[in-house]
Amino acid sequence: MYPTPTNIWESIEYSKLGITVAESTWMFPTLETIHVIALVTVIGTIAIVDLRLIGIGSKGHRVSLLAKDTLPLTWGAFVLAAITGSLLFVSKATSYVANPYFLFKMVTLALAGLNMMYLHLTAWRTVEHWEQDPTFPVAAKVAGWLSLVFWLLVVFFGRAIGFTLSVFTS
Amino acid sequence: MGDFLFNITEWLRTTPLSGFALGMSEWPLTLWIVTHFWAIPFLQIVHILAIAGSFASVLMISMRVFGLAGHATLAETSRRYTKVLWWSLVFIVLSGILMLFGDTVRNLLNAIFWIKMILVVLAIVSSIAFAKSLSRQLTTGDVVGGGTKATSLFLIVLWCVIMTCGRWIAYAPV
Repeated sequence: MYPTPTNIWESIEYSKLGITVAESTWMFPTLETIHVIALVTVIGTIAIVDLRLIGIGSKGHRVSLLAKDTLPLTWGAFVLAAITGSLLFVSKATSYVANPYFLFKMVTLALAGLNMMYLHLTAWRTVEHWEQDPTFPVAAKVAGWLSLVFWLLVVFFGRAIGFTLSVFTS
Repeated sequence: MGDFLFNITEWLRTTPLSGFALGMSEWPLTLWIVTHFWAIPFLQIVHILAIAGSFASVLMISMRVFGLAGHATLAETSRRYTKVLWWSLVFIVLSGILMLFGDTVRNLLNAIFWIKMILVVLAIVSSIAFAKSLSRQLTTGDVVGGGTKATSLFLIVLWCVIMTCGRWIAYAPV
């Protein structure tokens, strides 16, 4: 028997969906597995474009064409990661919101999104003018570096959550 | 399935591996890793990033093989991503070996761990065969044979199963 919820996070955790995931012996690890597969796909495909932006990988390849090749995989995997991540969240909502690493992960995800948006609203608008130059605009390079750092932090915070989930729960 | 895995684990306990795992848990490297809180999370991060490199490489080559990502030739795509694949495999193996020290008994006496090890070896052998198959394809232009397409699909599924095993090691009955 679950107690009466006293806040929104408890309402989510004690919802039918939250209880179903939490009480199942196989749902949580299965969702975790799909979440990891989706996340490595997102990070791996984003890194291909980021490394090109900072001038390390895929030299000689047009970055707009690289992005065209990788984006369907990146977005598909991101949607899958978001769905599975949300389902993992509802099963232990009160523990997750009390965990600073979870909050850092959410902030870092938002920053990664803002960074991508900024790139697309600025340097990317003229990508066909500079993508065959030997060096890329500073804004594009900075966006590439920031993206790599943000996604590295997402992985770090994601792993840190797993090791500290019970630490911050009273 | 649970009973099957449990029976394998029970069998593993009867082998010399049991004593080896217990002995290994006293090694200086094991003691260092288990007494440093961030050692295992750090190794897991390296492991995850290396898997991201290998899985993305397999996905990109496969996309090219199936004509779904087409801006570069098959030769260029293969050359670029097989290099990433090999380096990623090196980091996967190195970080994986070090992670083994985090909990020697849970890992070595774990049915899913050994299934994962067999699949990793299979993935490495299949990747070498796949790379060789691609290099043969390169000499006949961009026409991709059914075997190469089947191998690329097999590798994607294999990596997904390996990642599944990796996550389920923690949940296996030991």
